[in-house]
Amino acid sequence: MDEYFVLIAILVMASVTYLTRIAGFLLLRNRPLGGRLAAALEAAPGSIFLALLVPTIFGSRGPDLAALAVTVLAALRLPMLPTVLIGIGAAALARLVLS
Amino acid sequence: MPAASPAREARRGFVTGLPVTAAFIPFGLVLGASAAQKGLSMGEVFLMTALNFAGGSEMAVIQVWTWPPNILLIALITLLINSRHILMGATLVPYLRSHSRRNCLIALYIMCDESWAVAHADIRRRLHLPQHACLSLPFYFGVAASMYVTWFTSCTLGACIGPVLGDIRVYGLQMAIPAVFLVILRGLWPGVRHALPWLASLAAAGLTWRAFPGAWYILAGSVAGIAAAWLQGEKKNG
Repeated sequence: MDEYFVLIAILVMASVTYLTRIAGFLLLRNRPLGGRLAAALEAAPGSIFLALLVPTIFGSRGPDLAALAVTVLAALRLPMLPTVLIGIGAAALARLVLS
Repeated sequence: MPAASPAREARRGFVTGLPVTAAFIPFGLVLGASAAQKGLSMGEVFLMTALNFAGGSEMAVIQVWTWPPNILLIALITLLINSRHILMGATLVPYLRSHSRRNCLIALYIMCDESWAVAHADIRRRLHLPQHACLSLPFYFGVAASMYVTWFTSCTLGACIGPVLGDIRVYGLQMAIPAVFLVILRGLWPGVRHALPWLASLAAAGLTWRAFPGAWYILAGSVAGIAAAWLQGEKKNG
């Protein structure tokens, strides 16, 4: 039963994503987007990525929190791949301390 | 400038995009392994990444995955994260206009942040050409198709090795997705003067996460951030 829900979830995701990809082409072909709508659209990805981080930010304690701090520092200065590697390393170290 | 053959243009696209395309592999492996950890099968990971092909939304959905999946939440997260595609697609309109509608719809299907960026960099180099020739479609397909295939292949491979790893927290892999989000956020940072939506999102999501079980905090945070941006109105400068 759950397998069907997974399939539906995947199809919903794919349809929504494709809609965002063609919406700009189909709807905005003839008019420029401006003002509040553009500002809101621009703020959407940042707002949601930040919200997604909330459990990691407010749910980490002790060594996990230290690992997060290291990852944040890396993310401020380094490209994607080194940051991810440092984050993984720091989190693994935190687990080692905890166990 | 003599028109280059489509095959040569596609090859040029593949080569130009290669450094970025190669960087997809580790992320695909991590995403696939994380998805397997949440109980998704290899086939499901393949379907998700090949049909959806938007890594940010896939990571977010995997992060909040439950059994059975919360389809409304998944749709909302996908819409909000991928809403940036609307603006990206709009910026390609002047260069796509002269191409057939079918080719445009296929080109947009495999448009991602990275292929879009590489395409725009190439358009800037070709601005001396007439507008319809600025975007070389074979070049674009060379970039975007190789990224597309690399993405779902490495994700599926990740899902294949994921279960072998066992508890990924032992290896610190649970930090991989938050780390990706943090780097994405750095790129999205709007500057101190426009940071109000971020503050609103963090506050609303934080409070909701403390107060209510489930994934409501995601909705609360993103709605607060978007509403704050709407109320703040048009970006003036900087």
